[in-house]
Amino acid sequence: MDGIRVGKRIIGSEAPVTIGWENIGRVEGGPVKRFIFTWFQPVALFALIAFWYYAPNSIAKASTAIGIGIAFKALLLGLEWVNPRYDSWRLTWKEMVTDLFYVGLGYTVLRIVDGYIGSDAIVHAIQHSFDWDKFAWFTGLPLLVQAFLISFIFDFGQYWMHRGMHNWYPLWLPHSVHHYITQFNINKGAVGNPVELFLIGLGIGGLFDFLPRAALLAGAISLGVGVYMHINVRFNTPRWWRFVFNTTEHHSVHHSQDFEASRSNFAGIYIFIDRIFGTCVDGEAEVLGLEGGRRMAIREQMTYPFTEGWRSLKERFGRSAPAQPVAAE
Amino acid sequence: MNLRFIDWIWHVRGSVPLAPGQSEDEAFERLDPLFRQGGTTHDRAEATLTFTKKDQAAQDKMSVFDGGVLAIENRGEARVLRYHLTSRALLFCFLAPLLFLAFAQLTVVINKYQKPDSPASESAKEKAKKDEVRPLNPIDKALGAPAPEKPDKDKKKDKDKDKSSPTPAYVFAALFAALYVIGRVLEDRLVRNLFRKRLHEAV
Repeated sequence: MDGIRVGKRIIGSEAPVTIGWENIGRVEGGPVKRFIFTWFQPVALFALIAFWYYAPNSIAKASTAIGIGIAFKALLLGLEWVNPRYDSWRLTWKEMVTDLFYVGLGYTVLRIVDGYIGSDAIVHAIQHSFDWDKFAWFTGLPLLVQAFLISFIFDFGQYWMHRGMHNWYPLWLPHSVHHYITQFNINKGAVGNPVELFLIGLGIGGLFDFLPRAALLAGAISLGVGVYMHINVRFNTPRWWRFVFNTTEHHSVHHSQDFEASRSNFAGIYIFIDRIFGTCVDGEAEVLGLEGGRRMAIREQMTYPFTEGWRSLKERFGRSAPAQPVAAE
Repeated sequence: MNLRFIDWIWHVRGSVPLAPGQSEDEAFERLDPLFRQGGTTHDRAEATLTFTKKDQAAQDKMSVFDGGVLAIENRGEARVLRYHLTSRALLFCFLAPLLFLAFAQLTVVINKYQKPDSPASESAKEKAKKDEVRPLNPIDKALGAPAPEKPDKDKKKDKDKDKSSPTPAYVFAALFAALYVIGRVLEDRLVRNLFRKRLHEAV
């Protein structure tokens, strides 16, 4: 494979990656289907924003947000069935059970742990040690500006954390497990070693004082854009959307088996952060994973960062094996 | 205890009749591509085929199974392919509700022993800050967004919010129980159809 030069890098020399918007697949079918899968993403995002902007205080609550998130993902699961991006990414019973296991961990035990040592706990501690009143001006900004800033600050932090994970071995170990996924489905974002799920959740957005409605709006933007990162649905994503926001296409390149391709598109929501720092590659990939697409079982996903880390430590610092005696001639 | 009484949980057994006049060799030849997948090793001895799978691909048609034995037997006039397959995924899904029930119990126990934050620990300044109603930006007022409410005086609500609820764990326990039933029936049918198709349809 020759690969294609993107900036200073050769992308796609190890595994197939499609580069350039003009080369990626389009929605196939009748005019109604094409219309729906062209406009679905922007309409859903604006509907979510409008809902949270105008919802009365009695229903503008976190519990409503969780309910909407679950219902939206159920709808997208249906879309995966109707209009898959790739047949080779079809959801099977086993994949669904595996993905839901991680979703379940996120809603239960990880939530408990995060309450003690996660981002919220750290922010809470910091806010108690300093006088953060100087951030009070933040609540006077228009709601949508607050919402954008909350999601942007979080995503900016996540961009560097994610880029760090791909560049520093101790952070790569827990993140690598997520890169063993070999296909995209709606819940694949939850799959990964729990240590990583904790790291990726660290953010400084919580330091700012904001109106609750702004936080809910930020959550809506994050859902309305981020939900498509790992999804098996073919959309004709509008040009402006893919210039500003992360898409399935961008994230599939990031998950490609091609090493250079995987070192691109680190942002979660705003792909323009990648554009600013020169790590954006516009395109898509079907062949995903590590080690030639080896599917990692849950047991190994849980232990891999520790076993692999131990192995590397032993290799680096362990006593080298005694040299084999050479037989006398 | 005889494991056979419970091993149906993760063992799938069944049989598919061979096409009339089909030989053992022909039958196994037709099934052969199923065992030429990544992570699969197989061994054939006359009328029996044994296989194991490790790190099988997600789209492997038999990915849910980790090993098994296929044997061709004579049943009177007819010949049948009998199979006995094992699946760790089915066992895992069967046990997953127990794990989530344990998480639910853990949440209940933590809530019971967690010392509630005493309201006295909150400084007067913080309290004042909490009680103050922060105004909306004029742009949002003009666009008609509802104004923020005065913070609820009822502290009980806040305290409850700090506690985690065991409900999600119960929901996931139920979800995995349902998924197990679906998977046990579905995968049984899918693998029978897969073998039947391979043995009977033109390859």
